Amino acid sequence: MIFNFKTLYDGDTCGHFGQYGGRFAPKGIFSFQTSYDGDRNGHFGQYGGRFAPEMLIPALEELENVYIRAKKDREFEREFMSYLTGFAGRPTPLTFAANLTRRLGGAKIYLKNEGLNLSGAHKITHCIGQAMLAKRMGKKRLIAETGAGQHGKAVATVAAKFGFECTVYMGERDIERQRPNVFWMQRLGAKVKPVSFGTKTLKDATNAALKDWITNVHDSHYLLGSTVGPHPFPSINRDFQSVVGMEVEEQVKKIEGKLPNYLIACVGGGSNSMGLFYRFLDKKSVRLVGVEAGGRGVSKKGGHAVRFSGGKKGVVEGYKSVFLQDRYGNLSPTHSVSAGLDYPGIGPQLAHLKNEGRVQFTYATDREVLAAFSLLAKTEGIICALESAHAVAFALKLAPTLSKNKIIVVNLSGAGDKDIFIIAEALKDKEWIEFLKGKSHL
Amino acid sequence: MNLIDLQIKKIKRNKQLGLMVHAVVGYPTQEKSEMLIRSLINRKVDFLELQIPFSDPIADGPTIVRASEKALKRGTNTDSVLELIGKLRGDIHIPVIIMAYYNSILSYGLVKFCRKAKKLNISGLIVPDMPPEEEDRERFIQTSFEYGLYPIRVVSPSSSKKRLEINTRYAKGFIYSVSHFGVTGSGVKIGNDLVGYINEVKKTVRLPIAVGFGIEKKEQVEKLNDIADIAVVGSAIIRNYEKGGLNRLKLFIKELKEGTIY
Ligand SMILES: Cc1ncc(COP(=O)(O)O)c(C=O)c1O
Repeated sequence: MIFNFKTLYDGDTCGHFGQYGGRFAPKGIFSFQTSYDGDRNGHFGQYGGRFAPEMLIPALEELENVYIRAKKDREFEREFMSYLTGFAGRPTPLTFAANLTRRLGGAKIYLKNEGLNLSGAHKITHCIGQAMLAKRMGKKRLIAETGAGQHGKAVATVAAKFGFECTVYMGERDIERQRPNVFWMQRLGAKVKPVSFGTKTLKDATNAALKDWITNVHDSHYLLGSTVGPHPFPSINRDFQSVVGMEVEEQVKKIEGKLPNYLIACVGGGSNSMGLFYRFLDKKSVRLVGVEAGGRGVSKKGGHAVRFSGGKKGVVEGYKSVFLQDRYGNLSPTHSVSAGLDYPGIGPQLAHLKNEGRVQFTYATDREVLAAFSLLAKTEGIICALESAHAVAFALKLAPTLSKNKIIVVNLSGAGDKDIFIIAEALKDKEWIEFLKGKSHL
Repeated sequence: MNLIDLQIKKIKRNKQLGLMVHAVVGYPTQEKSEMLIRSLINRKVDFLELQIPFSDPIADGPTIVRASEKALKRGTNTDSVLELIGKLRGDIHIPVIIMAYYNSILSYGLVKFCRKAKKLNISGLIVPDMPPEEEDRERFIQTSFEYGLYPIRVVSPSSSKKRLEINTRYAKGFIYSVSHFGVTGSGVKIGNDLVGYINEVKKTVRLPIAVGFGIEKKEQVEKLNDIADIAVVGSAIIRNYEKGGLNRLKLFIKELKEGTIY
């Protein structure tokens, strides 16, 4: 029986024991290409590009060059994968939502649970990748913007792990909404700088971070948190995040023996959605759906963040894409119950994929999102981020319209712990409010 | 001939440093903005840079950001900016350069904007987020020239030799050299670093050099005499105005002017 005995801690067929051992089998993360990729200057169709002030262009070129070199370096992929498995906790599970599926009576719903990543969201993945690039460039400090605080927390996490100083810019309004993440960023050693100009949300935090970068460009790396901004950020973050879709493909094939019919993800700038979609872009049988933040409804000006309803082409924060803006090109105020989706711009590749008809877009309103959040928690035991609940909300509508042999994969981009204050307030939870009142005497 | 070239000839003839002053149009209100600009041109400055306020001005420091916000809140927009320039135009006898972020021009329509600017006798455009690499698609530089506007090129201490060449290939009028690593309004020391970098720029391009970002004192302007051709002052104008209104602003410009004939 000696040679039949197995434990949970044994190696895989290549002899990997977690992050250790084994022959490294490259997954081709950085050599993978699709017919929807950008040109040499990061243009995706009519979008993208590098509309940066001269002060930043050399830094963007440096980043691009170090990335091009890293892509060709097998050691880079090996190191990236070892951080993902040994530090971030990848792969994240693909969970069959049996109860939800039964209840809706249609397509099978699978949940890609990115909330189980270290720091609670998919964001850690591109943070690890960019931190490795920042090391290669010899930078000492990381700068970041954050909306929900998830990206900021992930940046603070890699800063601690890799030994960088770290400054995170966050709009005053978001600080109020996402206080728990501010607290954790500070515990991780990051300086959180409140941004008090403009709409005091994500776009203004991005502005503030860009200004810091302009000032400290020689020793600091701007760890931009989504598939937005000037070239090469949209492509770099997409490539790092593509491990999400890569894992989903392996997992769903293993469980179901075939590709899924639908992939659904919420869309702020696009990092979790592009991460899920990228590996499937040229697999035309798989339908891709992005869900934007419908807020109080698209008829309410300033009450939503649905770029594809009322947005138009523009160049802001270094890239060309579709932006919610007024007649004169000033960005419009946005609203969403989730702090991570109320951004007036969208990743340039997603705008291109929309034009090409490869990705469909829809939106979910705040009310639908809160209902989806609650239903998921009670039926599947998963407390997801309000951002991710947008994707769930659309799945709830879609699944009953499809036959039982169809498969839907929903990206749960993050965990909902951070949203405790917003959700308690939205659900008007009396006991929690009483509890807070009690605490306020401290 | 473009007014910028004439003005440069004049300051060279007078062996003086040119002074370019900047204002955010519509700040603090449309009426007060008009008075502010009038008081600037009455001080015999050499160039006037008028900024169209924008919601997301990534190259600007807190002073200009706040001023832009204020102007936007009061309803300033590209049309009202052009309108005000039109109203003032008869009284302005120096080159006017419009500073704008690219989205303000793009959303207005590049050709429509340039046509109107030409009608208003504008001499040049400074658009910090429109690099030459995007020219193939955007045709910004080409369109500017078609309407007689100089698309002023911006360089910075982080620009490599290659980037200096790329940036200055289509330059006319003067080169706008950002003084240091920073955004507008963040103070700068006029020292060896700046001299070394400006000398590099001069090796690449034979155009007059304007230095801006963080110029706020007469002493800095005095030192620029030996290095550059034009000193650009922006945030400090707003700060002086905020501290003491038009009276203080007049004194401030007078002081700066003294610095130019050092
Ligand atoms: C959990 C979560 N999901 C989604 C997003 C939206 O960003 P993106 O569209 O880049 O995935 C955020 C951003 O903060 C987030 O925290």
